[in-house]
Amino acid sequence: MGRPFSAAVVSAMASLCVIASAGAAEKSVDIGIVGARTGPLAAAGKFQFNGFDLAVDAINKAGGVKIGNDTYKIALKIYDTHCNAAEGASAMERLANVDHVVVVLGEVCSPAAAAEAPVASDYSIPLILTVPTAPDLTKQGNTFLFRVNADTDQLNKALAAYIVEHRWSPLAFIAWNNDAGRGGVNGMKALLPKDIAIGYVGYFDVGTVDFSSDVTNIRKSGARAVMLLMDEEPGALAIRQIRDAGVDAQLVGTLAMGSDRFLKRVDAKYLDGMAQYNAFPPGAAAPRIVEFAKAYHAKFGEEAHGFAAQSYDGLMLAVKAMQAAGTASDGAAIKKALSAQSYDGVIGHIQFDGDNQAHPPVYVTQWCNDGTRKIDFPADMRSGCGGG
Amino acid sequence: MGVTLTALLEQIANGTMMGAIYVLVALGLVLIFGVMEVLNFAHGVVFMAGGYACDFFFVHLFGNYPAVVILTMLTLALVGLALERAVFRRLRVNVPMQIVASLGLILMAQNAAVLLFGPSALQLSVPTVHSLIRVGDLSFTVQHVVVIVAAVAAIVLLQAFLHWTKLGIALRATSQNPDAARVVGIDPDRIYRITFAVSCALAGLGGALLGPLFLISPQMGDLPMLKGLTAIVLGGMGSIPGAIIGGLAIGIIEAVSTLFISTDYRDMVVFVILIAILLVRPWGLFGVRVRGEA
Repeated sequence: MGRPFSAAVVSAMASLCVIASAGAAEKSVDIGIVGARTGPLAAAGKFQFNGFDLAVDAINKAGGVKIGNDTYKIALKIYDTHCNAAEGASAMERLANVDHVVVVLGEVCSPAAAAEAPVASDYSIPLILTVPTAPDLTKQGNTFLFRVNADTDQLNKALAAYIVEHRWSPLAFIAWNNDAGRGGVNGMKALLPKDIAIGYVGYFDVGTVDFSSDVTNIRKSGARAVMLLMDEEPGALAIRQIRDAGVDAQLVGTLAMGSDRFLKRVDAKYLDGMAQYNAFPPGAAAPRIVEFAKAYHAKFGEEAHGFAAQSYDGLMLAVKAMQAAGTASDGAAIKKALSAQSYDGVIGHIQFDGDNQAHPPVYVTQWCNDGTRKIDFPADMRSGCGGG
Repeated sequence: MGVTLTALLEQIANGTMMGAIYVLVALGLVLIFGVMEVLNFAHGVVFMAGGYACDFFFVHLFGNYPAVVILTMLTLALVGLALERAVFRRLRVNVPMQIVASLGLILMAQNAAVLLFGPSALQLSVPTVHSLIRVGDLSFTVQHVVVIVAAVAAIVLLQAFLHWTKLGIALRATSQNPDAARVVGIDPDRIYRITFAVSCALAGLGGALLGPLFLISPQMGDLPMLKGLTAIVLGGMGSIPGAIIGGLAIGIIEAVSTLFISTDYRDMVVFVILIAILLVRPWGLFGVRVRGEA
């Protein structure tokens, strides 16, 4: 895998050189950002904003970006939508009518993104999603909506293959009671063969902290593995409660559970052997990941996060599309340029399909007993402990 | 799949623990409502402040959890005094404005928590969370037991305060008839301050007990507040025994119900039972029927 990674890094560096080739910038172009700065998903939103900030820093410190005959600095117009659909739609209206941006990125939650997308289309502004995973978002025929990150179907596909390989049956789920959680469970059920039995499915609302009822039902179902479709905070709680109750089933989690930050929440003894899908294994030796992780740590003093990497790539892609379109004011032209982009980013190769959905690589990483991680899937990316 | 005895016992134990937390919140609400006729919807953020205060004291002052819990209660009692003086004293007879002020307090307090402690939830690691008690196939953290024991102690002490101290008797007298209480030399304003302080101390205790077991976050008080409010409606507005029975009943019913139906319907079960009881007894299980009620 060494050559493709090297090629990706060279490509990414070259992109930045092209972006930054114009010397000192006189003008600035505003890019709209929507996401959760407050509310229950503010923690996830922080990583997304960090990714955008890092990309803007990289571009502006290199002198700005040449679009057409002019050189521009990048500025962000940020709106906190609290993951609320109505506030998301309102923020999009404001970005279009008051701020007059030509491209918008962001959003953490699928319902908010679903409300923002039609507004983006009405005003011919490309909306690039970097975190929401509901598969239907890019299947509405909205040509102005793009998604950089893998959707739930793509993530589930990798995990389903992994579960089948290990014959974890019966399988139990604890999932968010929203489209991401329910979509995830239904997606997994559709992907798993009939001989992988589903022992128990429990849904919880955002903000839930007590999983004791689920733990009792998991024990009752005799599940060999428990899949946790949730983010970092409930994930840490659910794992502790499952293990403290003496349930020793295999744990399977999401990308939020494959980071050093997560290890600070849950002791290594709870995590040993736990597997999780991952769009960005921060400990991987791939140069594109190593470089990003270094820059992220230097700016924010913590381990890089997948949401940040996806958002960094999303913003870089938006800028590349503006360059390719030769305009910082024509949303329709930028949309057309986005559709044609082929970009080697931090998360891997990004190219949009007919639904404007990218297909970045998906991994399964596993926790080791010393608190490090390894890549366990796909087979050609397998690493030892410390490489995931 | 049938319900096993193990599963039933496990859920009764879990329900009792959560019920104990609801009781602490409900007692605070019922005290304020019973004495002052104020519905403090911001009681959930007082609970949340208890969690954050406990974390702050434990991490930055000293690592003695029982002492930190007591310090948290004292701190929240002071917060209660400040809230009564700054907000609720002026709005005592204005219920709509009480509600608006409460909602404003919730927004301010939750955003202040994000500003001061960051958007990520805090995890308070006290020794009782890491120690397990095994009973047959089941195991619980020692903190589960601590929550129940502390709640029982708080209930006993509160009852002793209300029935065996002059101040407690004055509080009950003010609750029954503020004008008559004033005639016999009781200062209702002083009683209102004490009521708010005790109520907030109980909420702070709830936050300090639940925080280590789960997470400390700006929204951690939302659900206990809703369930506490439900408990006092179920038990009867103004009734302390009603708040205790109501809180415990909600905790156990919602936990046991998940053995029969999906976990995402457990709140619905609680509210269906609440509606059914209120249809038969609109004044709640232990409330007093007043003229005009069905």
